[in-house]
Amino acid sequence: MAHDLEVFWFSEQPYGHVTEDDLAPYESGRMHFPNTYFDPEKAHTLYSNYHDQYQLADEVGFDGIMSNEHHSSYWCMKPSVNVDAAVITQRTKKAKIAMLGNVIAVNDPVKMAEEIAMLDCISGGRIISGFVRGTAVETLHAGYPPTENRPRFEEAHDLIVKCWTEPGPFRWDGEYWPHRMVNPWVVPIQKPHPPVWFPGTGSPESVIWAAKHRYPYMNLGSLLDLTKQLKGIYHETAAAEGYQAGPEHFGYLIRCLVADTDEKAQEIGRTFLWTENHRNRGPVEFNDPPGYQSREALRIKMSRPLIGTGTMGRRMSYEELQDAYNIIVGSPETVTEKLRHIRRDLEPGYILIYGNEGHMPHQDVMRSVELLGTKVIPALKEG
Amino acid sequence: MTTALSGSRTTVNVNGTAVEMYSGGSGPPLVFFHGAGGSSGWQPYHEDLAAEYTVYVPSQPGFNGTEAPGWVKTIADVAHFNHMFIAALGLQDIVLMGSSMGGWVSAEMAAMDDHNIDALILIDAAGIKPRDGEIAEIFMVSADTRLQQRFHDPSQVENYANYTRELSPEEQLVVHSNAITASQLCWRPYLHNPSLPHYLARVNSPTLIVWGREDAIIPVECGHLFQQAINGSQLYIIDNCGHSPAIEKRGEFVSAVTGFLNSNSF
Repeated sequence: MAHDLEVFWFSEQPYGHVTEDDLAPYESGRMHFPNTYFDPEKAHTLYSNYHDQYQLADEVGFDGIMSNEHHSSYWCMKPSVNVDAAVITQRTKKAKIAMLGNVIAVNDPVKMAEEIAMLDCISGGRIISGFVRGTAVETLHAGYPPTENRPRFEEAHDLIVKCWTEPGPFRWDGEYWPHRMVNPWVVPIQKPHPPVWFPGTGSPESVIWAAKHRYPYMNLGSLLDLTKQLKGIYHETAAAEGYQAGPEHFGYLIRCLVADTDEKAQEIGRTFLWTENHRNRGPVEFNDPPGYQSREALRIKMSRPLIGTGTMGRRMSYEELQDAYNIIVGSPETVTEKLRHIRRDLEPGYILIYGNEGHMPHQDVMRSVELLGTKVIPALKEG
Repeated sequence: MTTALSGSRTTVNVNGTAVEMYSGGSGPPLVFFHGAGGSSGWQPYHEDLAAEYTVYVPSQPGFNGTEAPGWVKTIADVAHFNHMFIAALGLQDIVLMGSSMGGWVSAEMAAMDDHNIDALILIDAAGIKPRDGEIAEIFMVSADTRLQQRFHDPSQVENYANYTRELSPEEQLVVHSNAITASQLCWRPYLHNPSLPHYLARVNSPTLIVWGREDAIIPVECGHLFQQAINGSQLYIIDNCGHSPAIEKRGEFVSAVTGFLNSNSF
């Protein structure tokens, strides 16, 4: 089945005023870095800028906007993807809205089903509903035992889909989210329900889960070789499930910035490395507390020789990351060529442009959005 | 450097679940339940106690070589399971001893049914929330921090190098698997049961509560709270000692325990 490439804009909405020096004294960049560094007045300006970027991305021809959610993180000022998606519905007219996604392992699934359905109705059916387990910190932040993340995720998924596809009222005798009476008034405009995406970085378990449900898998910027291995696992799983996976099942997130010249882009793009080493710094138990990974996940990892950390290519230099196609910066011509390489190499149905980071100047990001929309994306789609 | 110890490893079938167990000695039965880190097998203090008691050291469900039945998800479930374990062995009139999380399990077991428990010994037990202090974070900290929290003075610990050495991949898997079980059992409410102090009002077994005064994981205040909750119980506090008195102050610990048991003529 032919699938036209779709290109999405994404911004973490970082609180770019944080510096390396601010972070250095603290044991970790998340649980220990105090929120006294957050200035709501500055955040107000940043939010406005990020929403302007959304609007422009829609106007210049991006197929969609992607958003996400994190907690206790200075690099992502979005503790609610649904709130951000509500903004996107009002600042854009055509773009799909990909939420990647709701942390359904730790949020009441009936309320999630209602809110996503509401967004789908408001946007006229533009919602793509990603479901995520969240990083371990999201689970710690919510106070749930890490051992329950996976079963809570599975049960929440089943309940949300049931809310969208079966008439209420009904009883849900779940182990983790029991509801005696479920009857959400608002249901989605898309039938049978909005498309569901599932993201991952290095975990084969995530790929297998997505493939078994026939949900598109979005790789969040792992190095190309690892990504190809993970994509291979998707294809293997799909074949075992009795269908053939294609580009429509696979997307790839890439850090990318365009400027009028290569030199200017090189200079601005350096900010992609902003405070990178601080994000997951701290005891490994913060990012992988006991039980967050199941014994089954451990078994899968041990049975396959691949899988390093795969997360955004940490510890590589700016230049090395560019050589590895993990960061792409340059003039429209340079960026188009490099994205063509990724398209040939990975054959993704969706390219998600991680287009902003740290304290990148708003005007430079706006220019990048414009050049991507008017020059790079049309050229890329021509082949 | 290690003494030859008498504890031998066997397997006990508990309603279809194979329980790994070390046992040795002779005399009345004494059953020991380990803490959240899992079983360390047959230890020197077990050997000491084996001079007067038949000592049983099982791995609780989900720890070490014992699989967890699917229904075991809470400390109360573990307590019920452990009662089944004692029944499977056919033990009568036991000394029930538990350390840390194992102390919590033992307290829950005694509150459920103490008719078969001749004496209860709780060592730096989890299970009661302190009023003034806090139970230290044990999951979201590094292994180094956990070790520092455990012992007050490493120079008092025999074979301390054994706690800091590099683990084999197989040992690492066991440690990780034990941590998953402990996380499941103890995450929320964190290492305590708000109802436990009330349950304990019906415990009639003679009870000794042993605590390291400098316990950096479960403050000694909790030892006082256990004593207040269990009628007629005795509290024995060991000075210059952390969370594991049976290891860090083995001689004084064993004397306190045998003294208590002999004075109650078991």
